[in-house]
Order: sequence, then C-alpha cells, then structure tokens
Amino acid sequence: MTTTSWTVANSRKLARQESRKRLGPMAILSHLALLLWTVLTVVPILWTFLASVKSEDEIFGDAWSLPSSLHWDNFARAWEQAHIGQYMLNSVIVVAFSVFGTMLVGSMAAYVLSRYPFRGNRAIYLLFVSGLAFPVYLALSPLFFVVQNMGNVPLIGPFIGLNTHAGLVLVYIAYSLPFTVFFLSAFFRTLPTAVAEAAMVDGASHTRVFFQIMLPMARPGLVSITIFNILGQWNQYQLPLVLLQERDKWVLTQGIADISTAAGYDQDWSALFAALTLAILPMLVVYTVFQRQIQSGLTAGALK
Amino acid sequence: MLFNRYRRGLFITAFLAAPVTLYLVYVISPYIQAFYISMTDWRGVSATPAFIGLENFRRLLEDGTFWKAVTHNAGLLVLLPLITIVLALFFAFLLNVGGGGRAVGGIRGSKFYRVVFFFPQVLAVAVVAVLFQQVFRPDGSGMLNAPLMALGGKPIGFLSDPGVAFWSVLGVMVWQAVGFYVVLFSAGLASIPRDMFEAAQIDGAGRLSLFFRITLPLLWDTVQVAWVYLGIIALDVFAIVWVMTDQHGGPDWSTTVMAAEVYRNAFQYFRFGYASALGVVMFFFTVGFAILSLRLTRRERIEF
Amino acid sequence: MPDTPRFTRRELLRSAALVPVAGALAACATPAAKPSASSSAAPVATSAANPFGVSDSKPLEVWIFDGGFGQDYAKNIHQPLFKSKYPKVEIKHNATKEITKVLQPRFAGGNPPDVIDNSGANAMDFGALAQDGQLQDLTPLLDAPSWDDPGTKVRDTIDKAVIDIGTYDGTFSVLGYVNYIFGIWYSQKAFKDNGWVPPKTWDEFLKLNETIKKSGKMAPFTYAGKFPQYLYEVLLTMAAKIGGPEVLVNIDNLEDGAWTSEAMKTSATAWAEIGAKYLMEGTAGLDHVQTQTAQNKYKVAMLPSGSWLENEQKTTTPADFEYGMFPVPDFTGSDKMPYGTLHSQPSENFIVPAKGANPQGGMEYLRAMLSKKAAGDFSEMVKTVSTVKGAGDGRQLSPGAASATKAYTAAGANIVYYRWQTWYAQLKDEAIAATGELMSGGLTPDKYLERLQKKSDEIKNDSSIKKYKR
Repeated sequence: MTTTSWTVANSRKLARQESRKRLGPMAILSHLALLLWTVLTVVPILWTFLASVKSEDEIFGDAWSLPSSLHWDNFARAWEQAHIGQYMLNSVIVVAFSVFGTMLVGSMAAYVLSRYPFRGNRAIYLLFVSGLAFPVYLALSPLFFVVQNMGNVPLIGPFIGLNTHAGLVLVYIAYSLPFTVFFLSAFFRTLPTAVAEAAMVDGASHTRVFFQIMLPMARPGLVSITIFNILGQWNQYQLPLVLLQERDKWVLTQGIADISTAAGYDQDWSALFAALTLAILPMLVVYTVFQRQIQSGLTAGALK
Repeated sequence: MLFNRYRRGLFITAFLAAPVTLYLVYVISPYIQAFYISMTDWRGVSATPAFIGLENFRRLLEDGTFWKAVTHNAGLLVLLPLITIVLALFFAFLLNVGGGGRAVGGIRGSKFYRVVFFFPQVLAVAVVAVLFQQVFRPDGSGMLNAPLMALGGKPIGFLSDPGVAFWSVLGVMVWQAVGFYVVLFSAGLASIPRDMFEAAQIDGAGRLSLFFRITLPLLWDTVQVAWVYLGIIALDVFAIVWVMTDQHGGPDWSTTVMAAEVYRNAFQYFRFGYASALGVVMFFFTVGFAILSLRLTRRERIEF
Repeated sequence: MPDTPRFTRRELLRSAALVPVAGALAACATPAAKPSASSSAAPVATSAANPFGVSDSKPLEVWIFDGGFGQDYAKNIHQPLFKSKYPKVEIKHNATKEITKVLQPRFAGGNPPDVIDNSGANAMDFGALAQDGQLQDLTPLLDAPSWDDPGTKVRDTIDKAVIDIGTYDGTFSVLGYVNYIFGIWYSQKAFKDNGWVPPKTWDEFLKLNETIKKSGKMAPFTYAGKFPQYLYEVLLTMAAKIGGPEVLVNIDNLEDGAWTSEAMKTSATAWAEIGAKYLMEGTAGLDHVQTQTAQNKYKVAMLPSGSWLENEQKTTTPADFEYGMFPVPDFTGSDKMPYGTLHSQPSENFIVPAKGANPQGGMEYLRAMLSKKAAGDFSEMVKTVSTVKGAGDGRQLSPGAASATKAYTAAGANIVYYRWQTWYAQLKDEAIAATGELMSGGLTPDKYLERLQKKSDEIKNDSSIKKYKR
C-alpha cells in the first residue's frame, strides 16, 4: 500500500463522515421522501393499534380521535370470545410441524437430486420445479377430495383427512417442495465436495454424510429457506380455507378474516381491532428482533 | 463395488420416497385430475360426472365475469411490477447512494427505514386485507376518509365505488410489496463497489445519471427477478380480493380476479367442472408468463 | 335450499364469506342409506287425538339449530306442550350450530333423529335429502286435525306458502315455521314526532322522501349497500304488485324476457330514482348492520328489511324507537295486486327423517308446534312471526313484530315470493352486482334488466345446472 492511495482512501472516508454531519438540500428531500413512505407504512398499523383500545362508539366516530379511556377489555373479548389465542396456537402448531417437515424432506430430495446423477434424476427435478409455475387454484377442488379420501385410509385416515392439522401439514409440505427443492439443489451444488468425499472414503454412509457433513455446511441456505417457508406458511389463507372448516381447527388467517365478517353482526368492531393487533404485534416483534436474518434470508432466497 | 452401488441406490430411493410420494399425491395428482374434471359437468354430487369435452371451455369464452377477471389480472400484471419496482428502486437508491453532501453513501437512518419498510411483508395477506377494509371505510370513521371530510371533501368509496375499488386493491398490493424490493435492491446495491459511484461522481455525474448509468444497469438482473416475482403475485392474487372487497370481487365485479372466479365457481356454485376449466385457463396464463419471462430474462442460465 | 330467505342472518353471510363447502359436499357424500325397518315397528292404533299413533315407549330425539332464535323456545315451549299430552314419552333434546356436521353421519348410518330444525348456514341440503328418500312425507300431518280443534285440518291453520315451498319433487316434506315478512321499516316514534305518515302510493312515498330530505333532520332512505339483495327484494315485490305474481314466477322459471317485462322496467326505473335522489350518503359502502344502526340513531328514516330486523337490532335500538313496517306502496291505481301485498317466505325449516326410529312422534311434535299456543309463545319469545295463522292474536308482541303481523294479516292471500336466488346462485350474484350499480347510477334500468336477462338465459342454456320449476 502506498502513501498516496492511503491518503486518497482516507480523505474519502473523511469526506463521507463530514457529509453525514451536514444535511444538504438533496438529503433533506431524500429524507422527506423516505419519511413519507415510513408514514404510509406505519400509520395504518398504528391506527389499528389505537382503535383496538377505543370503545365501539369512538370507532364509529371520528377516525382520528384519541380514545377517552383505554378499553383493554377489547383484547379479552378478542382472545376469549373470538378465539384468537386458539387460532394462533393452531397456526404455530401447523407451521412448526410443516416447516420442519418441509425442510427435512425438501433438503433430502434436493441433496439427492443435486449430487447423485441417476436415470430419471432430471425428470424428477423438473417435476418439482415445474410446480413453481402452477397456480394452486387449479388444484383446489381435486385437492379437497384427495384430502377427504385420505381420511378413509385405514388406521391413519382419521388423522390426515379433512379438518385435521396433520392433513394440512402434509399439504403444506407438498406445496412448499417446488421452491424448497429448487433453491436447495442450487445451494447444494455450490458446496465443495472434498469433505464429503473424504468422509465417504473413511467409510461414512451416505445418510451420515448428509446429516453430519452436508447439512451443517448448507446452514446459510437452510436458514434462509426456513424463514421463507415460515412466512409463506404462516400467511397461507387459501389452503386452510378449503381444508379446515371446523372453527376450533382454524388457523390465524382464517380467524382474522372471520372476525372481520362477524364484527358487523356482533357489532363488535373494537374486538376486531384488538384481534388484528394481536395478529400483527407478535409478527412485528419477532421480525424486529430477527430482522437481519429475515431480510437477508428472504432476499437471498429470491436472488438464487 | 456392487454392494456400494446397491447402497447408493437404496439411499437415493429412501431419500426421495417421502418427498416424491407427498408431491405426487397432493400436488401432481390434483393437477392431473383437474385437467380431466375440466372436461366434465361435475358438480360434486354425481359419482360419475359426464364427460362433455370442451364444452366448459366454449362456455367460459362467453363468461363476461371471467374475462373481466382476466383483464384485472392483466392490469395488475403490468401495473403492480411497474409501480412497485419504480418505488423500490427509488427508495433503495436514496437509502444507499443518495446520501447527503458531495460524496455518496448510505443516508442516515437507512437501517431504520429498511426495517420499517419491511413491516408489511411479514403480515399475512388476510390480515392486511382486513386492516385496509377498516382504513378504507366509506365515512368519517375511515382512516383515509376522516381527514378528507375534515377538509371539506366528499368521502371516497374506496371499496364501494366500482371505479375506485380496483385501484384500492392495487394500492394495497403495492403497499405490501415495496419494502421487500427495497431490501432486495439494497442488497444488490451493496454488492456494487462503492468506488464505482465515487469515480463517476468525480467525473461529474449527477445523481440522476448516477442512477441511470450505474445503478440501474448493475441491478438489471435483480430487477428482472423482481418483475417475474411480482408478475406471479399479480396472476395469483386471491386473498386481498376475497377478504377485502365487497361481495368478494365487487362491487359489480370491478375487482374480481381469476383465482376468485375459480374459487367462487367451485366452492360457492359447486360447478367443479367449470371451475376446473377456468383453472386450466389460469394455468396456461401463468405457465405462459413463466416461460415468457424465462425466455426474456437470462434466468434460464441458472437452472433450466 | 339450506339458506333460503335467511340471506340476512349472520350465519349465512359469514359462511358465504368463509366456510366454503363442508355442508353441501358432505351432504352429497351421503351413501344411499339402506331401507330401514325401524319405522314399521309395532304400530299403535291411531285416533283423532293421536292421529299418527305415537307410542309411549319410543323416545323422541329432537335437534334444534341453535342460531338467531336460540334453543330455549324448544325446551320451554314446544317440549312441555308435547309432554303434557304424552307424559311417558322421553324427549331427548339436543342443539347445535352445525347441523350438517353432527347429523350427516347419522343419516349415512341409517339412524337419524326424529325431528330436526334444519336451519342455518350449515344446514343440510334439502334437495339432496329429498333425492335420497330421507324425508318423511308430511302430507299426513297436513291432513291431520289440528292440535287445538279436531274440526280443522292442520293444512288450514298454516300459510299456504309453507306448503308450496316445502314441497320437494311433489311431496310436502319441509315445514317452514317462521314467516319472514318483508317491507319498509321505520321508527314509529320518529314518524310521529315529525308528523310523517307511512305512504300508500308511490307518489306519497316520493313526497315523503322529499319532505324528509328537506327537513334536514335525517336522510330519507338507505339500504345495506354492501348487500344489494336487500334492495332488489323491494324492487321485485313492487314489480309483482304492478304486474301480478307471474312476474316473479316467470323469473323463477327462467322464462325468456322475464326480467325485461314492463312491470320490472317500471319498478327498476322507480327505484333507480330513489337511488339517485334520496339515499343516505355513503350507503353503497355500508352493510346491513351499519345502515340499521344509523336508523337506530335517527340518521336515516326508512330501509327495506325483513321481520327478523327487530331481534337483530335489539342491542342498539332505543327503548322508545318503536319499529314499524309498511308494505311496498301502490305504484298506480292500476296495479294488478292491491295495496298491502307483501313478500313473505317461510323459513326455519323442520323436517322429520323418514328413516328415523320414531317418525310418528316426529310428526306429532310438529303438530304440537303448530298449535296456537306454541306458535304464539314462540312469536312472543323471539320477536317474530310464525307461519301459524293468527298465532300472534292477542299477544304482547313487540312493536315491530306487531306491525309486521298486522300487515301480514291485512295482506291475506296477496303474498308473493321468489326462489331463483336460492336455486341459481350465479344469478343471485349477478343481481347483487347489478342492483348496486342501478342504485348508484352506473346502470340505466334498461341496461340493468338486460344484464340480468342475459345471465338468466345463460343459466337456462347451461345443461350442467339443474333447473327448477314452480
């Protein structure tokens, strides 16, 4: 490194630091534009939070008035009468199992398809990947009957038919496979082979190599696609709408949509806002805590 | 050696068995059935639906509501990516390059903006739909109409005026999507060597030419990816329309989309044959779009 | 027709929005049940007092839909009455909000209960049950002497529409117990305070709208803008008044030009004028509860609805509000049907499963329900109008129920109804979409009717859609 280049680099750094101290007119405009979008993003959410502690009359009154007193009982009603807690628990259960399952079978398939050439490999791979372009709506009605028929399978039938969480989990896994396999195969292909080969020479089984060597190496890819699947499955509305009709089995998205319809009849809009808040707040908290991982995970997923 | 090959075959089979079975049962078989069902008059009642050939397809050619839905999807296909990408590029540029002063650099608080912009992305579409139902209320209790009326304006029927409702749907979709692409483009920008901007600036390039001469060309691949993703979202949209709009795609069919028509015909009219035919048309639109975009972009290089 | 004219009830709308198919699909999945021998068990001699031969030794299993009317009326009114005559019969009372889910397997298994209030959004599909031979022929009930008077047949104690609507494939098998009476609802207090009078002719109606509008006290008229079926209800009723009941029959039967008839044109044009001039601001974006609540707050004077309205609004109605209902006014003096013609349709549908253990007991239970006392107590308890003639006489009815009952009695035989909206869901959705547009001025009356005629023709020509006739 020569002295001059050091000076240039250093002076640029200084310039950068200095420029950050002073706000030029352009920077102000930039901030204004960014702030505008911040407001657009945050205000509807904050407004919902605010409405969740208003009384029924206040909600029907001026949208921007502040609540005269805080009606925390709205939350009690949303939690108990509207069963938000139950729905949330259902969502957590379903998503926990299905994301685990998706990652397990998805990475298995992706690994084999990306590292083991065999006859038919390409065909299976394309079969999976082509699923990326299928609109799920075409499959909906046959899927309903497929799941209904699964309910008649001896022994396990009652657990995986319509209106069962396990049935929904299997469907989630199946419909998450195209992207998971697509992404993870690409990822496994980029991993170096030397370590795995050495282990094989040492007598490790294929299975062991996969679980003990390849999976740990693929960690970044797995994290990213796990986040992707968690968000995707947590937010799923269409599949549970068709497959879960019993109220106590519903997931959160169904519950929220239902409360929205019911609010009109029960004349309980305040509970709706409380329910919305209960659905939104945990997601925002979790996101804010893990935002770095979530952002990089999702964007990496998209860019692969 | 033979044993090893046997072991390898066993491993491949064992690892592929679960994912391929799940995928065939829950994804591929419903799609294949759907193609058959689309050529029947099945209404879910009769055990043996009558085969009616292409009758459903002939019928759907005259189905005004479905073609309305197609034009709405087409509108979204153009507008959603366009608006979202322009906004996201603009914000990403401001955040990363458009810093203050003479030098280029991230704007102050860019991390904060990025976190906040991403908020809508982590919320379930169904939740967003219910939230905006409230935001769009037609009277003074609506978040948007309240200030409008306070200024003496007439309230806007965001969801009740057939001339406005479509734009409300588009607006909500953009609202939810922008943050993700800001982060995506920021990631792309971060990988552009800073010196390139500085060199260009030393050459006297203004912000505008900085954007068009450096940022955009270097991000072009990412923009294409974004376009494909948003395009698929535009073709597949369902929950926003179904949950948020009056009469599920109204008023007067002004917001309905293909997926809503498939769902309505299948699960409200019990015309499974006809709904499947609509689904098949939707399938060809989506696959057509996917193939077209793979051709136009260089994405086939990566995997196909 | 699981959701007949109850389209306004919350369960239904909720289900339309969310719960997709469970009910109807499960109903379809019914395997053809084997013929059961249970009903042919040792017959008990029939008599005038016990026309069906109810046996003391057979229990009676009753299932009530626990919806808008709750289940107490069955426990506290119907069952004690039945018990008073058959003290030895054991009644097994049950209630559910999910009729299909609970009872469909029972039908499939060949051991359905004896009486079912098959109502609500999750009711079983009557058509499918009828096709399957699951419904007891209730003709003997019609021909049996009534509970109160051995000289009168049950047939003569209930509204004729009950028989028309409860007949499937030529057999009367569904008993509608509640009469939904449709009309235009207002606050008697508000009308009294302001000196407004319920109009009898369309001109008076227009004048009243004008007066209310000018008074500045409230908006004249509104309807559930998000659910324009509330508005096409009065529009169709008025068309039937102008052109006679066959206007609606033709529409139901998908006749050519049924929608574009002169009567329909006149009525659509008239209502479009209301839409253009007298609607409460923001109507298009409001649902039925929001508009009804606005009326309770004296922000709007009149809205079209049905006789469930009073019960639905009981929590927001001021004590002195005094609901009142008036029938659709005369359009001109030459209307085919006289003043007071009403749209009314039976609902809250009771069935007796043919393959149950005790169909005799089931029919007897229905006969008890149709007694004046049972029906009257019921009307009082749930603030509604039953299908039993004169059941509300001399009762302490709430103002709205009293007003609807009065209008209903005055209407006599001049009752109209329509069924296309439950038969052809596509047509209903198109009518909903188009009616909203008609009222907001987006469609001219001619274009409006042409559009519905087009849809009607489409359905007629679609061989995959099952057609009905009346």
